[in-house]
Order: sequence, then C-alpha cells, then structure tokens
Amino acid sequence: MKYTVKHEGKNRVRIHLAMKRLSFREADIFEYYLKSFDEIREAKVYERTADAAIVYSGDRLRISDIIERFSFEDTEVPESVFECSGREMSAQYYDRIVTTVILHFGKRIILPFSLRRIWGTVKAAKYIWRGVKTLKNRHLQVEVLDALAITSAVLTGDYDTASNVMFLLKIGDTLEEWTHKRSVDNLARRMSLNIDKVWLMTEDGEVLTDSSSVACGDRVIVRMGNVIPFDGEVDSGEAMVNQASMTGESEPVNKSTGMSVFAGTVIEEGELTIRVTQTGGCGRFDRIVKMIEESEKLKSSLESRAERLADRLVPYTLLASGLTWLISRNITKAVSVLMVDYSCALKMAMPLSVLSAIKEASEHDITVKGGKFLEAVADADTIVFDKTGTITKAQPTVVKVISFNDEPEDELLRQAACLEEHFPHSVARAVVDAAFEKGLLHEEMHTNVEYIVAHGIASEIDGQKAVIGSYHFVFEDELVTIPDDKKEQFDSLPDEYSHLYFAKNGMLSACILIADPMRKETREVVERLREQGFEHIVMMTGDNEKTAAKIAAEAGITEYYAEVLPEDKAKFVEKAKAGGHRVIMVGDGINDSPALSVADAGIAISDGAQIARQIADITIASENLESLIALKKISILLMKRIRFNYKAIVGFNTTLIGLGIAGAMSPSTSAMLHNGSTVALGLKSMTSLLPEEKKEQSL
Amino acid sequence: MKLKGLGLFALGTVFGLEGIRLLSSKDAKKVYTYCTAGVLRVKDAVLDQVTTLQENCTDIYEDAKAINEERTKKEEDAGV
Repeated sequence: MKYTVKHEGKNRVRIHLAMKRLSFREADIFEYYLKSFDEIREAKVYERTADAAIVYSGDRLRISDIIERFSFEDTEVPESVFECSGREMSAQYYDRIVTTVILHFGKRIILPFSLRRIWGTVKAAKYIWRGVKTLKNRHLQVEVLDALAITSAVLTGDYDTASNVMFLLKIGDTLEEWTHKRSVDNLARRMSLNIDKVWLMTEDGEVLTDSSSVACGDRVIVRMGNVIPFDGEVDSGEAMVNQASMTGESEPVNKSTGMSVFAGTVIEEGELTIRVTQTGGCGRFDRIVKMIEESEKLKSSLESRAERLADRLVPYTLLASGLTWLISRNITKAVSVLMVDYSCALKMAMPLSVLSAIKEASEHDITVKGGKFLEAVADADTIVFDKTGTITKAQPTVVKVISFNDEPEDELLRQAACLEEHFPHSVARAVVDAAFEKGLLHEEMHTNVEYIVAHGIASEIDGQKAVIGSYHFVFEDELVTIPDDKKEQFDSLPDEYSHLYFAKNGMLSACILIADPMRKETREVVERLREQGFEHIVMMTGDNEKTAAKIAAEAGITEYYAEVLPEDKAKFVEKAKAGGHRVIMVGDGINDSPALSVADAGIAISDGAQIARQIADITIASENLESLIALKKISILLMKRIRFNYKAIVGFNTTLIGLGIAGAMSPSTSAMLHNGSTVALGLKSMTSLLPEEKKEQSL
Repeated sequence: MKLKGLGLFALGTVFGLEGIRLLSSKDAKKVYTYCTAGVLRVKDAVLDQVTTLQENCTDIYEDAKAINEERTKKEEDAGV
C-alpha cells in the first residue's frame, strides 16, 4: 500500500497511508497486520488521520517493505479482533470529551450572555436535583456540595463560574464512565479470547466440541462449575443455577426439564443437558460485558474508599463557609468558599489515576475488575495460595501409574482418563493428557458422572462403582480398601509426588503418581512478596501432608495447610478477615471459588476454571507468577498517588481560599491557578506508576 | 407609545399565526440541517487537528526520550 513518511525517529517511524481516513475496521486490520511481525515492537494506528506510529527493531528497510506489501483485502484477521478491539468505544469517549470542551468554550464566543444564562440555569437544575437526591438518602456527599456551589453561583449571578464547575464535573463524569467501561472491556476481551469447548451430545455419546460449531437444536451437557454457553431449554437433568449474571440475584435457582436457561449463568450444583435455542457467535463479547457489569453491580455495595475520599471534605467545607459568613457577614466571601470545587479536581484525578493503573496492570497481563481491588491488594497483609496451578506449574503431569489389581497400567490410565475428562481441574487434565499422549483413546464407558468437588468423581464402569480422587475422598468418604497383599506396596509409594487414587468396587485399583513441579520463580516471588509487606504467606492444598511440607519448604513458605477441603479454604480466609487481616486469595480451580469470593481480592490464574475467573476480582496470566509482585507494586504506588493527589488538591485549594478570603488574591487569579493545578494533576495521574526500566525487565 | 404597543401586538399576532409555521417549514428545516452539518464538520475538523497535535506531541516526546537515552549511554561509556 502507498504511504508517506510523516516523521522519522530512532527506531520509530510515523507513516501516513494514502487515504483520508480509516474506518474502525480498517484501522483494526492494519494494526493487527503490523503487530503480527516480530520486527515491529509496537504499533498504533490512528483511524482519524490514517496514520500509524511504528516502533521497530532491526532494519528500517524491512519496515518499508512490510507496509508496502500491506493490503486490506489480503490480510486475514480473526473476527474476534474486531469484536474486541475497543477502538470504537475509545473514539466515542474521545469524541464526547472534545465535544464537551468545544461546546464549553465555543458557546462563550458565540452565544450572547442572556442565552448562556438560560442554558446555564437549565443545566444547573440537573446537578441540583442530584444533590437533593443524595440528601434525601441522608448522605452528605460531594453531590450536595456541587449542588450548593452551582446554586449559589446561579443565584449570585455568577454564571461563568457555574458553567465552569459544571464543565469540569461533566468531564470528570465522562472519564469515570470511560474508566469503568474500559476496565470491563479489557476483562471481557481476555475472557472472550479463550476458545470454549462444550460437551455435545451425539449419537455416539458425549463429544468435546468447539462451541463455535454448535447449532440450534443441538444438545449440550453442562456440569457443575461451568458456565452455560448458550441460551436454551433443559432437556434433562436437574441443577442449581446461579443466575446472578442475568438477574442480579445471587441465590441459585433450581432448573429442571423444560425450563429455560441463559447463556452466561453458572451451574453451582448438578448437571444439565440443554437443547440449544440460540447460538453465540455474534454478541458473545457483549454478553460477557453484560455479565461482568452485572456482577460488578452486586459488588458495588461497598464502593472504593478512594473514590469516596472527596465526601469527607463536605462537612468541613460547609462549616468553613458558615464560619466565614459569621465572621465577615459577607455572603460573597462565604459563597467563594463553597466555590472552591475540591470535588472537580478529585473527580478528575482519581478516575484518571485508577484508569492508568489498570491499564498499566494490563501491560503486565493482569486484568483488574475495578479500582477498589487494587486498593485491597495495596492494603493486604495476608496472601493465601492454592498450591496447584499457582505455587506449582499450571500443568501437573502423570509420572507413573501403579496398578493394585493386576490390570495393565495403560488400561487403568485409560479408564481414569475417561472419568477425569469431565472434571475441570488441572490434575484431571494431566491424567487426560497422559492418556492422550500414550494414544489411549477411549469410548465413553461409564454412566452418569457424579461430581464431588475437590474430592473426586464417582461413576460406574461396566456396572462396577468407580471412584477417583484424593485420599480423603477415596478412603475416608468412600471407604475403599487396599488389597491385603498390596499393603506393603501402598506404604512404599513415593512421597514426593501427589497421589491420585482410583478404585473400583470398593477396592483400590491404581495409584496415579502426579508430579506437580514447582514454578521456577516461586521461591523468589515468595521472598519478594514478604519484602513487600505480606506478613502471612499461606499455602493450602488438598494434597497429603508430606507432599505439602516438601513443596512449602522448597517455596520458602512457613505456613501451610494440607488435606484442606474447599470450604475450609473459604473459612480460613473468613477467619483471617475477622482477625483484622486484609486477605488476597490466589487460586485457579472451581474448588477455590468460595475462597476467591470471600477474600478482599480474589486472584485467578487466566487458564483456570471458568467460574474462578468469573468470580475473581483480578486475573493474572498463567505463565508468570511475577506479575503478583508487579500487581502489589502498582497497587501500593496507586494508593500513594491517590493520597498525594488528595493532599495536593486539598492543600493547594485551601491556600487559594485563604488568600481569597484575606483579599490577597483576585478571584480570577485564583480561578486560573485552581484550574491549572487541576489539569496538571490530571496529566500527572496518567503517567506510569512503575519506573520504565523495571517494566522492560519483567516483560 | 400607544402605536409602538399596537405594532408589537400586531407583530406578535402575525408571528403566532404565520411565524411558527415558517420556522417549522420544510425550507427552514433545510437551513437547520445545513447549519447542523456545518457544525458537525467544524467539530470533525477540530477533532482531526487534536489528533494531529497528539501525534506530533508523541513524536516529540519519543524523540526526546531517545536523545536522553543516547546521552546516558554516552556518559556511561565515558565513565567506564
């Protein structure tokens, strides 16, 4: 494609395509194309000007070549890129903010004063109504102050001030909305990129299929802990379904044959066969966005403290204004105190700080659902890890199958895999993968799979009751016995591996040894987390004591709990919270979800179970545990920045009030200083929190 | 005085009878549409300018960073 070079820097070039403008879609295609080359480190396409800024490494000629060979038609781009681009949304908000600015200053030039007065008064009514509404709810919030300031400005005939205040408030509102939308979108983008598989009911039984190939009328099977992928009708089965994402109601409802189920809802218990009435495809992204927004609503009962900092100032400002009036008996001076709009500056600076922190976190592959979780991470002094998938590698592997019933090992592995493939847990996946690698294909040979979360699975194979799971489940709950002549062999099972027991007809058939090697960075991460101020670093695992002790020692963790049940994890978190600790829970499976939801901040690993990701407040990439350190650092720095902003805004503006009352500064000078400082703080709040070179190191 | 009052009264009546119809007529609508289109074009032009400004600022910022990197590197080399 033809292009001109607009700017040439060191390893950076800005070019202009030979077009006036790009559509959002075209811009996405071009950006996707550019980013697909290794030589191009960074590319940003501006749709409005048909420009692209490219940061590259290596040969400059190669870059020219890449751009020349580009064409919209020949570039194949997956549909999900467009669905998730977010370009249109950014453009919309950008548009809105610029329009607000233009209108604000434009009307001063064009509209005569009398018309501006009417305009101002009409718009003021909206803000006054907001203030009255919060008063009705018996809250003394910033909205009251805004309303008072605007009212008094209108009443004293100071329409320019009223319009200035409203202008800054509006910008703040828009930014806040943008912040929220953007973080939700970021999250949805991550989630929708995970290609889902579903169990499709066919004539030959259940088959694992890509959800994109499911058509209306097909029947799919969804089990406990999984998200229902499509709208549909229950064909058979019974389950408790959590419909919080649809209705906002957090209590699960019972669903049985003939009832409708909705995409995005989660089965908490039981199993359903669903006849699909509407397939996803389009709108999948929107659905996820909706789901997250709804779950956000459930959580918003406790709003972020930082976002509410400004409220604390309300009583003082009212008091100061009253005092000024009492002392000076001068209404104008009293009003001028009200007029110093701390709230505008705070409302601009806070969302900008949070937005840029969330954005910065996403550069480290961390997805944060809202600012208040960063706050929780910053304050946290206790971090609880679920061992599997967090302390250890995400992929445990089968080392060996030991037969206890003289059946060949491969045959036992085949049967175990047949059961385990229905269980969304990393250990289960290891068994399935091991069988697959050995080429042990299987037909479904068992009947209905019963779930018992975290302990294991029970079913029937050839009329025999088959169970697979932990020691606790197999021997204590299911009362399986060990063949007499194999007791010795059982006692000599190596301790350094996790054990998965497989039993048929109440008799132990096999022990599968699972190696779950520790991540190589774990020890260092644990050490650095301790340096960062975590007093308690706790490991929890369903594994036996010996394996747990070994891993804990290796990781440098002193506090660990072995043979823990999922409820116990949640209970532990609750107890720690009751003891005055702020707790982070890190986990990846369904069995972690109760603990994730009670923790102050629940962190899920991005390739873990769907429900864990849905419940978690923060998601981190699976490859690297080090992002936890970055997360904590960003959180702490964000809080520091918020506190600094708060102090700076309050201090600076209080000084302005003082000078104003004393008559040492003219109102117009103080207004200039006030607005200037607001903008400067806003800009400063958008800069990166972590120092540059650190970022490159961890990338 | 009286005459002026009468004149205003007459004007008001005429406006009430015909003016509103005039203001809501098809031709008037066309004028409104053109005006709005004009305003939107102005907005678009401003947005274009803002984007161009942003691009140029980024150029300057990135180049400035490159200069400083070079400097630090030179200083380090000299120091070693």
